[in-house]
Amino acid sequence: MNKTYDIVIAGAGVIGASCAYQLSKRGNLRIALIDDKRPGNATRASAGGLWAIGESVGLGCGVIFFRMLSSQAKRQAHGAAVAVDSSTPHILPECFFDLALQSNALYPQLHEELIARHGMDFKFERTGLKYVIQDDEDQLYAEHIVRHIPHLQAQIRWLDRQALRQAEPAITEQAHGALEFLCDHQLSPFRLCDAYMEAARQNGVDLYPNTCVSQVLHHGGRIKGVRTEQAGDFHCDTLINAAGAWAAELSEWATGTRLPVNPVKGQIVLTERMPRLLDGCITTSDCYLAQKDNGEILIGSTTEEKGFDVTTTVPEITSLVQGAIRCMPQLAGVNLKRTWAGLRPGSPDELPILGPVDEMPGYFNACGHFRTGMLTSAITGVLLDKVIHNERTPLDLAPFLASRFERVAVPA
Amino acid sequence: MSLRPVIVGGGSAGMAAAIELAGAGVASVLVDEASRLGGVVYRGPLRAGVDLGYLGARYSKALKQLHTDFAACAEHVDVRLGSRVVGGDAQRLMVLDEHEQLQPLDYSHLLLAAGCHERNVPFPGWTLPGVMLLGGLQLQIKSNVVKPLGGTLIAGTGPLLPLVACQLHAAGAKVVGVYEACAFSRIARQSLALMNKPQLFLDGLSMLGYMKLHGIDMHYGWGVVSAQGEAELSGVSVAPYDAHWQADMSRVQRQPAQTLAVGYGFIPRTQLSQQLGLAHGFSDDGYLRADCNVWQQSSLAHIHLAGDMGGIRGGEAAMLTGRIAAVSMLQRRGVLDAEQAIERRERYLGRLAAITRFRSGVERYTARGPAQIELAQPDTVICRCEQVRREAIDVALAQGVEDMASLKMRTRVSMGDCQGRMCVGYCSDRLRAATGRADVGWLRPRFPLEPIPFSAFQHLGTEA
Ligand SMILES: Cc1cc2nc3c(=O)[nH]c(=O)nc-3n(C[C@H](O)[C@@H](O)[C@H](O)COP(=O)(O)OP(=O)(O)OC[C@H]3O[C@@H](n4cnc5c(N)ncnc54)[C@H](O)[C@@H]3O)c2cc1C
Ligand SMILES: Cc1cc2nc3c(=O)[nH]c(=O)nc-3n(C[C@H](O)[C@H](O)[C@H](O)COP(=O)(O)OP(=O)(O)OC[C@H]3O[C@@H](n4cnc5c(N)ncnc54)[C@H](O)[C@@H]3O)c2cc1C
Repeated sequence: MNKTYDIVIAGAGVIGASCAYQLSKRGNLRIALIDDKRPGNATRASAGGLWAIGESVGLGCGVIFFRMLSSQAKRQAHGAAVAVDSSTPHILPECFFDLALQSNALYPQLHEELIARHGMDFKFERTGLKYVIQDDEDQLYAEHIVRHIPHLQAQIRWLDRQALRQAEPAITEQAHGALEFLCDHQLSPFRLCDAYMEAARQNGVDLYPNTCVSQVLHHGGRIKGVRTEQAGDFHCDTLINAAGAWAAELSEWATGTRLPVNPVKGQIVLTERMPRLLDGCITTSDCYLAQKDNGEILIGSTTEEKGFDVTTTVPEITSLVQGAIRCMPQLAGVNLKRTWAGLRPGSPDELPILGPVDEMPGYFNACGHFRTGMLTSAITGVLLDKVIHNERTPLDLAPFLASRFERVAVPA
Repeated sequence: MSLRPVIVGGGSAGMAAAIELAGAGVASVLVDEASRLGGVVYRGPLRAGVDLGYLGARYSKALKQLHTDFAACAEHVDVRLGSRVVGGDAQRLMVLDEHEQLQPLDYSHLLLAAGCHERNVPFPGWTLPGVMLLGGLQLQIKSNVVKPLGGTLIAGTGPLLPLVACQLHAAGAKVVGVYEACAFSRIARQSLALMNKPQLFLDGLSMLGYMKLHGIDMHYGWGVVSAQGEAELSGVSVAPYDAHWQADMSRVQRQPAQTLAVGYGFIPRTQLSQQLGLAHGFSDDGYLRADCNVWQQSSLAHIHLAGDMGGIRGGEAAMLTGRIAAVSMLQRRGVLDAEQAIERRERYLGRLAAITRFRSGVERYTARGPAQIELAQPDTVICRCEQVRREAIDVALAQGVEDMASLKMRTRVSMGDCQGRMCVGYCSDRLRAATGRADVGWLRPRFPLEPIPFSAFQHLGTEA
């Protein structure tokens, strides 16, 4: 069973699917998209927030993460656990803002394009993201954020207590107000992935679901193909590693070097369907809340280093539930329908790992998207398509290359 | 061994297990979401003073016997009614108690005896008010809550059909006809196997006699095709089924009816056994089932399965498997030695053997016909919770969707409150037919197994 392709993409989460879609538009490539449907796939678990500014400044999915980091830091410093360290909001580097904002700007057009050409609707909604301020510490945190992003003032709006009540009557009366990021929106995560994938299929990409890449084949010091457990060997000149939290393993087979990508578990809580209660997406210092297209309110999410474990655990679910009720009291009378967990592909500096590696021609990274892979999937597909074709990329890839890690000594 | 064994499900299997444990002096905790013990067969009337004479003398005697035996050992059983297990792992269950609060319940030995649910068959009109599942209707008659108004048409397969027809009639309801999917000749071929339980066989014959006497027609080799009505059911279309349950659409007949009771079989519950991480396999009809051995032991040595969860064989068998599971737990706890345990087990297995032969006869003639899935039309709703129609599934299959998880993401089937209990069978059939593979994956149940209020968490701590 030998198959010959120009490009093999390993992993059909939102990242692999976006790459497949962008590459398929060229129309002259034979592409195989191979996916092993592992439990913990991040795309199916995701919240689907397009929180370009929110995530860049450590809100949204980042909230619990940064709270954990800062309380760890403080614990080490003072020997006691403290809540949010408001003096040092965790803000990502400039290059990440560029990546996130450029990607974010692609969605309105992408949404129309996938509906018009391929009949797939990923439910893009313009929502804004409101950081709800519930105490003085939140207020300090918000002010720090605003000070750090002077170039984005046009995308920011302060809501006082009354303005917040008017905009979001379901939010607790205790709230002091909110800081809103106007360009941060949402979509349906699994529909986005399905839309890329189905569009790619319609453009001629061969899908290999439930197929596991188990080995990488080389010839003359470059990529020659992959071996799979279910569908035999695939020959190709180009291999894209879009294996999500499992990317380290694949990079080791392909290049002999393990990428520093590690699974970061996130748990989510979902309500039953509700009438429209939230006008936009909400983030607090406990959790975030996003009412999805069908009325369910999604509440996320934890950030845990538990290896590849994807069980849901009552203490963590409880903290999300209690945090959500604190911000939106009427949830106390609502039913919780489902919980789940997924594995974010975490990288040490929280930036994705994109593009070629010097030592292995034909091999490309598209991994390490951590907590923003939904948001950055659009630009990732575009970047990979360009870099594989040696064309100019819309932004500088240098900060995202795997080679950045070699400068830092990563202990084995 | 500080913790008492925990039993989930107070039906025939769970009660018999508690009795067996108590008999050996071992106290247990018995959890059931219902407000009364007895399970689907022996729950009895919801109100006191109701005469269940219309259910027959043999039934009333068995009902009384089980509850009397249980009452005799009540002090050894910590019964927690109105308590629903909504999740858990290999050491701990999460229970939504009668006050709608979530409570952890740790265990060292667990018996899962949560029973089965009825198979849903989608056909045009199956979601109309007035269309019910046969067992559910029977539960209503048995608990004496309501009685269907107007004429009831019964369609399905198996011995429950004539039983419910007689119970309905005796309770004063009108039965307009019974449609057994299997041809009479195929049932007759099993009569030797059915004679393994002569009393049940005779009961069956006498039920048929009762039906004849009261003018209730039994139609063999006929099945449901569609149900009609505006706001509620007004009529049912039936047609001859061939050996594969392919309906002969040239011979459709329409019968007026206000209630349609549909009973095409039962499926073991697997939500809990999957959630606890037990090993599962597929049974002959393509449905998932938790593995268990001759001791009723699951793939985890400290978790046992009894009753319908380990295979559907009726109330009497459920009690025997409950007792075998209890014997195994007693041995594991050092109350019985190996020899004593085997001796007891063999006694129960001996009684189970005749039932098993009888049930295999029933299973052979009630075996589900694969062509019945063709009844659903493009606009027929398959997933009731999310209102997903057949055409959406057709499109997904044409687009190359090959497994349950992908079908869920593409169409939203099973994303609703019931987590796919109702539609997983249809979806799995379609996926298997489309891919030619036996294993197309199954739905992984998520905590909580049923929706629970947010307020259920308010008293819990957030430290592990
Ligand atoms: C509606 C119906 C009618 C039936 N009628 C007959 C009949 O007339 N004759 C016959 O021989 N067989 C009948 N059967 C088949 C029947 O299931 C028998 O095989 C047998 O009685 C099963 O006994 P059990 O103890 O395994 O399950 P059950 O008697 O079903 O007991 C299971 C118990 O578990 C409880 N439970 C389930 N899930 C949870 C949870 N998560 N948390 C807490 N409690 C839980 C339920 O409330 C129930 O009381 C019927 C089945 C059904 C579904
Ligand atoms: C709880 C949670 C909430 C989130 N919320 C958001 C949010 O609001 N906004 C946002 O932008 N991002 C969010 N994220 C992050 C986002 O979901 C991820 O960054 C993104 O899904 C990563 O996509 P991926 O394709 O790299 O990985 P995945 O979706 O995990 O896909 C990787 C795929 O590769 C397959 N694979 C692995 N190894 C092999 C192999 N050897 N052979 C074949 N296939 C293989 C796997 O089976 C898997 O299907 C969230 C994540 C989580 C967990």
